[in-house]
Amino acid sequence: MRTEAPRRYPVYVPKVPPTWWLQTAPFRRFAAREFTAVFAAAFSVILLLFLFALSQGKEAYEGFLRWLRLPAVVSLSSIILLAMLYHAGTWFRLTAHIQVIRVGKNDVPRGAVVAALLGIWIVVSAIVAYFYVWF
Amino acid sequence: MSEGRVALRVGRYRPEHAPEPYFDDYDVPTSDDMVVLDALNHIKDHIDGSLAYRWSCRMGVCGSCGMMVNGVPRLTCSTFLREFHSEPIVVEPLRYFPVIRDLVVDMTDFLEKLRTVKAWIIREDEKPVEEGEYLQTLDEVDRYKQFSMCINCMLCFSACPVYGQDPDFLGPAVIALAHRYNLDSRDQGRAERQRVLELNNGIWDCTFVGECTVVCPKDVDPAAAIQRSKVSTATRTLRSVVWPFGGRE
Amino acid sequence: MDRSPVAELSLGDILEDSDAREVKRRPSSARPRRESRMRQLLRPEPMFWGLFSAGGFVAALLLPITVGILGIAFAAGWLPMEALSYERIVDLVSHPLAKLYLLALVSLPLFHWAHRFRYTVHHQFGVHGLKRLIAVACYGTAIAGAALAALVLLRI
Repeated sequence: MRTEAPRRYPVYVPKVPPTWWLQTAPFRRFAAREFTAVFAAAFSVILLLFLFALSQGKEAYEGFLRWLRLPAVVSLSSIILLAMLYHAGTWFRLTAHIQVIRVGKNDVPRGAVVAALLGIWIVVSAIVAYFYVWF
Repeated sequence: MSEGRVALRVGRYRPEHAPEPYFDDYDVPTSDDMVVLDALNHIKDHIDGSLAYRWSCRMGVCGSCGMMVNGVPRLTCSTFLREFHSEPIVVEPLRYFPVIRDLVVDMTDFLEKLRTVKAWIIREDEKPVEEGEYLQTLDEVDRYKQFSMCINCMLCFSACPVYGQDPDFLGPAVIALAHRYNLDSRDQGRAERQRVLELNNGIWDCTFVGECTVVCPKDVDPAAAIQRSKVSTATRTLRSVVWPFGGRE
Repeated sequence: MDRSPVAELSLGDILEDSDAREVKRRPSSARPRRESRMRQLLRPEPMFWGLFSAGGFVAALLLPITVGILGIAFAAGWLPMEALSYERIVDLVSHPLAKLYLLALVSLPLFHWAHRFRYTVHHQFGVHGLKRLIAVACYGTAIAGAALAALVLLRI
C-alpha cells in the first residue's frame, strides 16, 4: 500500500470516513440510486415465488394471489415501484451520458436521447400491460 | 462581495513542529476580481511566509493549484472569492492524497499510474522522419480531443469516492488519458493498455458516481471515458465469444 | 551554504521509491503476445458488467409496469379478478417465448443487483477485503436464482 512506501519525507494520510456517502447531496443520491438494485432483486424473488406457486397448481397459485393482496405486501410493492421509477430515471440519464449517437455531422443531444428512452419505456410498458391484462 | 476583507481558514501541516495537521486563520483584503490563489499569495507575501502550496500559470491551464475549497476540489486560480457568502473560506490540501506539507500533496501515486497505463503514443512501427508526419483528419482528432484536454490537476481523484475508499483504483484522469490514447488513430498500443485497464483496480472498480466529471475544470468528462471503455471492452469480449474467428485484436 | 538532503531529490528518485503496483512493468522493448482467446474468455469482469447492464435495462423498462400491474393494480382491485385467473395465466406462461421472457425478467435484475451490491459492500459498507468471497456470494446468489427460475418455468 502507498502509505508503507519508503519516502524521504514524512506524510500525513487522512482517514476517509466510511460514511462518506451520507455527507453530500450528490453522494446521497448516488447511494440511493445504487440501493434501488436491492428492490429490483426483491421483486425478482416475488416473481420467482409467483411462478413457483403457479407451478404448484391452482390452490397454491390463488393462495399466492391472496398474499400479494395483503396491505403489507402492497406497501412493499409500492416501495419497489418507486425504487424502480427512480432507477429508470437515473438509468436513462446515465445511458444518454455515455452513449453518443451520431447523425451525420452532429451528435444527438442528450435530452433527446433521454426522451427517446422514455418513449421506448412507454411503448414497452403498454405492450407488457396488454399481454398481462387483455390478451 | 465588494471591497473589504475576508477570513480564510487554511489547512497547515508542518511535521517538524507537530505530527497532526491543524488550521490557521487569516484575514485577507478582498476585491471583486480576486481568486483564492490571490488570497494565498497575499498570505505568503504579507502575513505568513511559511505557507507552502503549489501554483503556476494562475489561469487554469497548468493544473498545479488544485485544493479543497469549502470541501470541494477546485483550481484556486479559478475560484473567485466573491463566490462565497459565508466565512471563513476553508482551504485544505487535495483530498485522498498524502499531505507532504500544508497544502502540498504527494502526487507520486498519480504519476506512477500514468506510467502503468502508458499514457503516450505507442507505435509498433515507427515511421522514419523522412516519411513525414502522421496525418489525421479532423474527425480523427475529434474522437479523442475532449479527453486530451486533461491538465493532470487531480481534482477528479479528490472527487472520486472509489479512489477514497480504494487507493489502488487507477482513477478517473488516468483511465480517461488511457482512453484518449486508445482513441488516437496514430496509436497502436491499445492491447498493452487493456491489460492494465482490465485489472480489478482498473475500469471495473468504477461505479459511475460521476463526481469526477462534475469537478473537472476542462470538461474532459472522465466518467464518460470510463463507461465507454467498459462498453467497448464488454462488446469486444462478447464478439470474441460469439465469433471466435478472425485475427482482429 | 550546505544543500539540504531534500534539495538533492530528483523526480526519478521519488518515482523509484514508489511502492509496487499490481502490474509489473515490462521493459519497453518487449511487445506483449496477443492474449489467447481462452484467457480473454476466462476473465469474468466484462461478462458481469454486461449482465449488470442488461439487468439495468430490464429493471428500467420492464419492472415498473410489472410491479404496477401485479403488485399494485391487481392487488388493489383495479383489475378484474379473471385477468390473473389460474387458467389464463398458465396458458400464457406455457408458451416457450413467455418462458424465455420470464426467465430474463427474473434473472437479469438479479445479476444487476449482484454487481451493484458487490460494489456497495466494498465502497459504501466499507468492507475492503474478502473480495473473492463477496463476489462469489453475490454472483452465486444470482446464478442460483436464475437456475431456480429455469427449473420452475420448465415445470409449468
